[in-house]
Amino acid sequence: MSGTRRVLFGLLGMAAFLVLFPFVLQAAGGGIALASRILVLALFGLGVDLIFGFTGLLSFGQAAFYGVGGFIAGALLISGAVHSTVLALVIGTLAASLAGAIIGALSLRQVGVYFAMLTLAFSQMFYFLDISPLRNYTGGENGLPGVPRASVLGLHFTSNMQSYVFIAIVYFLAFALMWLIVRSSFGHVLRAILENPERAAASGHDVYRYKLVAFTIAAGYAGLAGGLLGLFQGYLPPDMFTIDTSGQIIVIEVIGGPGTLVGPLIGSIVWIYLSQVLQNFSAVAGLWKLLLGFVFVVLITGFRTGIAGGVLNAMRQMSRKREPLPAGSGE
Amino acid sequence: MHLIEAQALNGLALGAILALVALGLTIVFGLLGFVNFAHGALFMVGAYAGWVAYSNTNNFFFALLASLIITFVVGLVIERVLIRLYYQRPKQDQILVTYGLAIVLVEIVRAIFTGQTRLLSTPSWASGVVQIAGIYYPQYRVAVIAISAITLAVIYLVLFRTRIGLIVRAGIDDDVIVNILGINVNRTFLLVFALGAAIAGVSGIVDAPLLAVNPDMGTDILVQCFVVIVIGGVGSFFGAILGGLIAGEIVSLTTAFAPDYASVMLYIAMAIVLIWRPQGLLGVEGRA
Repeated sequence: MSGTRRVLFGLLGMAAFLVLFPFVLQAAGGGIALASRILVLALFGLGVDLIFGFTGLLSFGQAAFYGVGGFIAGALLISGAVHSTVLALVIGTLAASLAGAIIGALSLRQVGVYFAMLTLAFSQMFYFLDISPLRNYTGGENGLPGVPRASVLGLHFTSNMQSYVFIAIVYFLAFALMWLIVRSSFGHVLRAILENPERAAASGHDVYRYKLVAFTIAAGYAGLAGGLLGLFQGYLPPDMFTIDTSGQIIVIEVIGGPGTLVGPLIGSIVWIYLSQVLQNFSAVAGLWKLLLGFVFVVLITGFRTGIAGGVLNAMRQMSRKREPLPAGSGE
Repeated sequence: MHLIEAQALNGLALGAILALVALGLTIVFGLLGFVNFAHGALFMVGAYAGWVAYSNTNNFFFALLASLIITFVVGLVIERVLIRLYYQRPKQDQILVTYGLAIVLVEIVRAIFTGQTRLLSTPSWASGVVQIAGIYYPQYRVAVIAISAITLAVIYLVLFRTRIGLIVRAGIDDDVIVNILGINVNRTFLLVFALGAAIAGVSGIVDAPLLAVNPDMGTDILVQCFVVIVIGGVGSFFGAILGGLIAGEIVSLTTAFAPDYASVMLYIAMAIVLIWRPQGLLGVEGRA
């Protein structure tokens, strides 16, 4: 199959999935709101996949951008300063990208362990800004209630189903855009950095600048996801900014499968569905996170490719064709 | 009012604890080459071990001992079962696995003790106040400074005045050469990891009367440790102490003037150090 045809089939498959998903989830005991929540995290995770799965940057600070995007878009809509949902989302996304560019410029001076610690520490700074000095704008520990539901070109996405439709459209467009990004020459340089940063630098690529652009894009995706969260649940909680949020999206990425683009979606389904389903069994209600933590450790130790990577590898073995992963080199 | 003086003393107590916890993290990083994201969880495990011992015996020294032994043993087990599989793996995997380990430790403790916050009263011999430079100051915070200082001194003596310390320091510089010289570096790794865990655990119980004991108490301390070692320099013994004291004073003194910014200030200081001296105040370039 040629590359372009594969992308078209892939996007068609994704569209079909997004149409069927809420019904399948309902049949499996989840609600439409759950489907929206999963897509918001999957969108958030697309950015993480770009920097971690494709570039090898492990950031523990993505919560900062999720929160910045969410609170700025939400505050603009609540205060009435901006009436257009799309404009508010765009401003939130740009603000999150700007925050990403600044934190990235500082943190990317370091690599590896240092980078992870710095992103974590800077995002913690945003958390404290949110709950303390800026609490008059952000609601502090109480969060920000009253975000109106999306309304675009006279269409009001008010019900849970309509809200899902809106989020699914945004997710689909963001997914397609990310696929284009990783297939572009820019994406190829990122993969070269993932494989061997020294070699990429020796080939004449400004590694720092490539990483910074990728980090900024990922921050924008986080900000957009944060804005969508506010739209569909009508409320922005301060824990969007916490380390748990950053850690959760990394766990989702690793469980789902880094460098596959669909990995974060699969990881979100596993995370959200497991947390909801296990809570219905009182004997194990409190244990879902222990179970996920355990699965996470086992996956990193033995199955580094995550669920999506494992499935794709198995499919390749079965068809006995040397087809690369959609994330793998796109030649 | 002697607000500034009191806050400066508070900063010293906070800084002493931070120095101790960060030292455990930095020693492990120095020798094993990776940052233990479960360090905060081990701090929490130490606090719980001490809380159980303290509420059963009402003796703070037993609590200290319990924290020390339990976290040391937990450290041994973790290193043998999991960590040693990761010495040759990429840095990202090492971070991820210790992060996953932190989740597992926190959730196990939550499953056993519930998420309820436990309060630990200060031991009776240190529940009064002392007069220092004209201000009345809680005795326990003075005890915290003393216990931290003594522990730091013991670790210093072990690292810089004993044979095992010599091996550890040589291993930090070049573990391959040490191995070639016929010294079992693997055993040293095991010991140092468990020692780092025990330092975290002891800090946990020492800090417990000043904090609330709950399963999530390790998160904040872990991030503060990162700030401390970024300021002081990763892998540096005195860097951890200097960074801890600076961080403690920044938080406490900012609390006196602008409480809203106490935590934010810490990260601003870290950003300044990072721009001005990326390897940290006492760090060696090219270490990380």
